[in-house]
Order: sequence, then structure tokens, then C-alpha cells
Amino acid sequence: MFLIFKRLWQVNWAEQWQYRANLLMYLLYWLVSPIIYLAVWTSIATANGDVNGFTANDFITYYMVLLICDQVTSNIVIHTFGYKIQDGSLSGELIRPIHPMLTNALVNNVAFKILTMFGLTPIWIILFFLFQPDFSSVTLTGILLSIPAMILAFLIGYLQSAAITALAFWTTRVYSIHEFYFALILLFSGQFVPLPLMPQVIQDIAQYLPFQLMLYYPIQLILGNLTTPQIIQGYVMTGVWLVISWLIFNWVWRKGVKKYSAVGA
Amino acid sequence: MAPTISVQQLSKTYQVPEREGGFNAAVRGFFNRKYKDVKAVQEVNFNIEQGEVVGFLGPNGAGKTTTLKMLSGLLHPTSGTANVLGFTPWELKTEYLRSMTLVMGQRNRLSWDIPAADSFLLNQAIYRIPDDEYKETYKELDELLELEPLMKKPVRNLSLGERMKCEIAVGLLHRPKVLFLDEPTIGLDITGQARIREFLQEYNKRTGATIILTSHYMADVTALCERIIIIHHGQLKYDGGINELSKKIAPFKLIGVLMENADEHDLSQYGEQVENMEDADKKFIQVKADEVTRITSRLLADLPVRDITIADPPIEDVIEQAFNA
Repeated sequence: MFLIFKRLWQVNWAEQWQYRANLLMYLLYWLVSPIIYLAVWTSIATANGDVNGFTANDFITYYMVLLICDQVTSNIVIHTFGYKIQDGSLSGELIRPIHPMLTNALVNNVAFKILTMFGLTPIWIILFFLFQPDFSSVTLTGILLSIPAMILAFLIGYLQSAAITALAFWTTRVYSIHEFYFALILLFSGQFVPLPLMPQVIQDIAQYLPFQLMLYYPIQLILGNLTTPQIIQGYVMTGVWLVISWLIFNWVWRKGVKKYSAVGA
Repeated sequence: MAPTISVQQLSKTYQVPEREGGFNAAVRGFFNRKYKDVKAVQEVNFNIEQGEVVGFLGPNGAGKTTTLKMLSGLLHPTSGTANVLGFTPWELKTEYLRSMTLVMGQRNRLSWDIPAADSFLLNQAIYRIPDDEYKETYKELDELLELEPLMKKPVRNLSLGERMKCEIAVGLLHRPKVLFLDEPTIGLDITGQARIREFLQEYNKRTGATIILTSHYMADVTALCERIIIIHHGQLKYDGGINELSKKIAPFKLIGVLMENADEHDLSQYGEQVENMEDADKKFIQVKADEVTRITSRLLADLPVRDITIADPPIEDVIEQAFNA
């Protein structure tokens, strides 16, 4: 199994390099909104002194860490896999003795991430010098705790996006459904607005949704803002959502493959 | 022993959305989508024993590829059962996928952006082929298909025929016991076609693998297959030996006559006149097999015959008659 992943990695890594200019564009597009939120919130906080207790530095550190967490936990499976179901090019992969979504597409996503990291790093450093955040609350324990949390949150998001992608077995057009899912992430993950600034109702709902595990939870872990019970609660939620997402994905995938019509060729 | 491939009452019906062209129809179709049932394969039955090479024949849209897709596990049938090597193909069991291959079209196992060599190594890992076995198989494939010069180039830069060679080779690295080949020689030149044919023959002889192939090139079928299955409009029209086909479907012979002043003589009283482009000097008539002797002696007696030939009708014509039967 290790060799399979190693070779898949070599192939996907080489493929991603072929499209590096494309990747850079994608990364810039990806970074535009969080950087805008960062700039807007910081100017508001600077003008007012604070926003509901959030100072300018709180916003800066929050969004600077968010840029990294977003990079780790997000995925692009809808773009790299959806078309394969629609145009039938999945056929070749479907009859290989490995799961197309849980091997090749997964490795492809990871290769994409690592390559875009190269693009993110200089941008992050520039932002660091521009905004000069005070990261004194960050602890090593927080960073170490955030790493497994982010990897698991990535898997949750990946399985959910993969399940939505697999809807292409029925509808052949899934991008709009995924856009809706993406809007939920934007709202409930703490990207648009840090969650504590949201109305209480939304905070209450968000607490039980998987989306805050992708951004808000790891950000707070890194910034050292969580109590031990909160940390444990986050990990429990992560475990529960991972199982739920896996079951949903598996169910949709199995049903979907039966619907596959192997068009073309 | 149970047959390697056994198919019972296998049927596949596609639901195809249907609407007329134009804006209004598009709007109507949005709210009230109509589907049309297309019966691609209807209650097909056959058994194939280990080591057989069987040709699937039929015009475009006959249901050949749909049948292959079901047997390889890509498609779930609407009804009926199939058993290949003891597995139900569409359950996509890992063990099953490791012991068969489907070569279909040009874009299958090879990744377009990278050299073929990388895709080969990836498949070695996916099928868990030990290094020494991989090297041996690769060497054999290279000897037969001359792969080495193609390995280093990105696949998108290979020609159609070169890609097909690589697709077939990469599909055989794991030495499958059952091969489903959809148009394996498409896009190849005559030498390339012959080479693939020889290769498949050799592979079948050496490994005892079972092969089902579809092809538009009759030469593929006549060279490789002793048995053919004809599918037309989703139904099985013929299943049997290629030599018996002409006897059964078209028990005719072609008599070719070379005469002086050929234009002055009308052969229609002897049998149905047919065109034959390959030999324009001769006139050809088609007669029933059991009347060949009688009519030949009449021709020789009545006409100034300089040369006469008696032959089986071309297999293409026979099969076309089978489709229309």
C-alpha cells in the first residue's frame, strides 16, 4: 500500500508541476477573500479601538493563522474529480483495484496543497511585515495540538466534498450544489467573521457543525485561546464528524457507482 | 469445470433524456423531463470457456461495448446475471479487478501529462507486481510492441497508434486471466495491427488467458477468433464458429467468370449478379452452395469461359447478412 501511495505521489506531483502557473492563479484567487476580511476588520477595529472586545491585533493574528489553516483543511476534489464522472474518464480508474476517490484523488489534493504552500509562504511573509502581528499568545502545545486537528478536519471536508462530487453520478452538474456547501463553510467556519462576533444563535448552531472544525477550532488552538474542556470537545466533535462524513461518503459513492453510465469511449 | 465467463439474460436499458430542440422545448424539458428507454442489451446469454478467443461483432450502437462494460464491472445491468472467474463483475471486488483488464479507447490508464514510464510504474504498484515479474513482463511486451522509445515522452505527445500500444501494454502488466479489448487495433497502421494480433495470439497461447474483443477490422477477427458472437440491436444474433457462420447464415458461393466479350453475356439467369471490386475483369454471381456444380457446368457449356473461380463470399458480406437476418 505504501508503494501505491508513493507512486501515486510521484505521478500527481509531476502532474501538478505541469500546471504551476495555473496553480498560482488559483492560489491568488483563493487568498483574495481572507486578505480582504483581514484588511477590513483590522481597519474597523483600529478606528473603533475594538469590535465587541476584538482588538486590531486579534483580527490580524486570527486571519494570519486562518490563511494557513485554510490552506491545510480545504480541498479541490470537486474540480479535480467531478468532470471525470461527467465525461466518463473515470472508467479507467474505476476498474483499477484501488479506490479512485480515496487514493488517487486524495493524493492529488495533497500534492496540490503542498505545491500551493510554496506560493503562500512569500505572501504570508509580506503580510507579516505589513501588519506586524503580535503572536505572543501562540504556544508550541497549541501548534502541536492543531496539526492532527487540521489533518482530520481536512479529511472531514474532503469526504464531504467527495460525497457532493459523487452526486455527479446522478445529476452530472454538481458545481452549484458545492457552491452552496461552500457558502455554509464561509458562514459557519469563522472565515467571513470570527465566530464570537456572530449572533448567539449562529454561534450555538456552528458549535455542532463540522465547519468550525476546519478553521475556527484550529485557529483558536494555535492562538492558545481554548480551555482544556474546549480542546477535548473539539477533538470529540472531530471524531464524530469524521465518522458521519465517512458513512455519508461511502453510502453516496456505492449508490452512485451503480448509476455510473460510463459515457464516451 | 465452470465456464470462465457465463452470462444469463443480461440486459441493460439506458434512460436517455429526450427533448426537441428550441427554447420552449428547453423550458418544458426543465419542468417535465421526458425519458426514453434505450434497450442497449437485451437478454443476452452465452458461456465462454477458459482460453477461448471470442470476437464480438456488430454495427455501431449494437450493444457490444455495453456488454464489455458490464462484464468488466463498469456498468450495472438492468437485469440478468454474469459471472466472470467466479465473481460478479459489477461488485468490483479487488480480487476480480486484479485478474482482468479492460482496454478501451485511448485514454484509460495512461496519464497524459507525464511520460508513459511513470504510468507503468504506478500500475506496477497498484497491481502489486513484484519487481522481477514486472521486469520480465515488461521485457516481453517491449519485444513485441517496441515500447522503449515511447516510454520517456509525455503521453500527450505520442501518436494515436503509439498510445494504443502503450495502453495495451500497461493493461497487461499484471498478466490478467481475462482480457476485454474494445477495438484494440483502432488507429494502428497495418504493421501495427498485425503486431498486436500476433501479440494477442501469443499471449493467449502462453498464458491460457480468455479474450473477448470487439473490432471493426475483420482481419482482427478472422486472424484471432475461432468463435464469434454477433450482437445487433442489443440481441444476440449468432454465437458459434467463424467457419460455420458462412454455412449457416449465407450458404452461398461466389462464382467468378472471365469471358471474351464479357459485356455481351448476361449471367442473371444463372444466379444473382454481384459486384466485386477486387477483380473487375471478372463477372461474379452468387449461387447456393449445393448448386455450385450444376451451375458451373452450365456456365462452362454455354459461355466462352477463359477462367473460372469458386470462392466463399467475403466474411464482411456474410456478417452483414447476419445483421439483417
